[in-house]
Amino acid sequence: MSSFDAPEWLRHSDSYSPGADADRFISKSIRAFLRVLSGLERRPEPKGRTPQPALFLTADFILLLLISLTQSRGFLFLAATIELVIISAQRPAAIAESLKAGAVAAVFTVVIFLPSAFWGAFSDWGSFLRVPFKVFLCAAAAALVPATLDWPRISLGLSSLHIPDIFILVLDLSVKYIYLLGQLALEMLYALRLRSVGRNSGKTATLGAVAGSLFLKSREASVETYEAMECRGFSGSYHSRRHWRPAAMDFAASAFIIGIIAAYIFFRGRS
Amino acid sequence: MHIPDNYLSPSTCAVMGAAMLPVWGLAIRHVKQEISKAKLPLLGIGAAFSFLVMMFNVPLPGGTTGHAVGGTLIAVLLGPWSAALAVSVALLIQALLFGDGGILAFGANCFNMAFVLPFVGCYMYKLIAGKAAGSGKGRDYAALALGSYSGINVAALCAAVEFGIQPALFHDAAGQPLYCPYPLPVSIPAMLIPHLLVAGVVEALFTVAIVAFLRRVEPAAGVHAAEIKTKPIFILMAVLIALTPLGLLASGTAWGEWGADEIGAVESGGRALGYVPSGMEHGFDFRALMPDYSVNGLPDAVGYILSAVAGAAILVIVFKLIALAKQDRTGRAPAV
Repeated sequence: MSSFDAPEWLRHSDSYSPGADADRFISKSIRAFLRVLSGLERRPEPKGRTPQPALFLTADFILLLLISLTQSRGFLFLAATIELVIISAQRPAAIAESLKAGAVAAVFTVVIFLPSAFWGAFSDWGSFLRVPFKVFLCAAAAALVPATLDWPRISLGLSSLHIPDIFILVLDLSVKYIYLLGQLALEMLYALRLRSVGRNSGKTATLGAVAGSLFLKSREASVETYEAMECRGFSGSYHSRRHWRPAAMDFAASAFIIGIIAAYIFFRGRS
Repeated sequence: MHIPDNYLSPSTCAVMGAAMLPVWGLAIRHVKQEISKAKLPLLGIGAAFSFLVMMFNVPLPGGTTGHAVGGTLIAVLLGPWSAALAVSVALLIQALLFGDGGILAFGANCFNMAFVLPFVGCYMYKLIAGKAAGSGKGRDYAALALGSYSGINVAALCAAVEFGIQPALFHDAAGQPLYCPYPLPVSIPAMLIPHLLVAGVVEALFTVAIVAFLRRVEPAAGVHAAEIKTKPIFILMAVLIALTPLGLLASGTAWGEWGADEIGAVESGGRALGYVPSGMEHGFDFRALMPDYSVNGLPDAVGYILSAVAGAAILVIVFKLIALAKQDRTGRAPAV
């Protein structure tokens, strides 16, 4: 067998080393897209461990509203305790998510409010920390919704709260397409990074092209979605008026709503 | 610019939410009229697009990056009413799923980013571009850049005003702020300086880059923001000018009115009554940096209105001069 004669240029190794190029904005964009995609891929609680979505959303909203309204430290500590109990009943991943959201928001608030403390806008640490503490409670409570409910259940909850169908249709479509278009954008960003060997001065301009392609793609997708809707006879209205039997968690959520409002009224005007 | 919960009082949030209700109602009506049923999915997919636009990090001089909001872009691509709906939905998903922006503050965030931003941006674009809108000429792109730049900055100003009225309107009996502690003279420069210097530039760069790409690749993409009338912008400007002394009136009356019904809390709180934060008077004096909007010998409110009228007039003059310069250049030397 005669040996294969490779051409001269193929036989010696290349000494090409690409010049350094900054592409931090691509990495940051990729990270932002990954955060969104992984956020939408969350695994929710199994059914039965959470109350009906509508009750869950109502309870969460009332808790946020009362925490924000109250000026009583007593009520704030009561609400914090109840919230911690609720959080502690979740699975570990949801606990971490909820506490992390609260902690990040609270630390951010402390940093934002520090200059005002040096000015003397607050007379003691207690009143300085009031807002960051409320921010912690609210952010943690708000983060419980995505940590325990998946999107279909959130949109079911919204529809039983009599939010107009057009809103829910738009919301549903958005969430699905954030995922689809997000993946598309991610692929284009990876391609942009892979193809930018060495210095690529046109990279910044390409970012506009990536987003522009995304827009063209989304218009195409909207036409296709409409055709698919028409084919399947879906007019965009939701019929989810199923009868449900209240479960133990639903009674617990109702008791929570009544109890927290009663506590708010009780603590009103007290310090 | 995403306002978290507890930075604004619940009553401010309620007012902003109430202000958004007619906007949403009108938006749905306009969209139903303008957009055929076949384009209904475009709303949801437009919302997905506007959500994703906020994920792009744009490189800035100096090695940093910033992300755009894209409100003006969506308004120019889909029309301002569709943009109002699309950005609202994007904001709702951010608040519900990602914790960006508060749930109670949703109305306020929508007011700033889904109403003020796209409308100001879009009308400003139309106003400056004039007949050049959609032509792809230099004036058209300059109008896009200026439109998106002013859109995001006016939105930031609205957020700053919402923050700034909190300490005057909502404080406990000891005068300590219950929500955002920064008054208008602090919140306005704190919000506006980064937006004027960084975020506005990012927004303008990104908007122009995308529109330029779309015009090159698919000229029929409908990048012209048709059916926009410029008359409402003048009415809006007049209303805004008339409303400028509102902050002044609010801070003037609030202390007396709000102090009275909170006296009960003083007695039980029992601390720091009548405390005057000396740091506030002797700390940073922003009035040295910011011009004092009062005119000698006139009531403050009149001074405010006059400053607002003068400011608006200066803006109109600047834009007209820019338009004139553009006209001259295109008149003498035809487009290259």
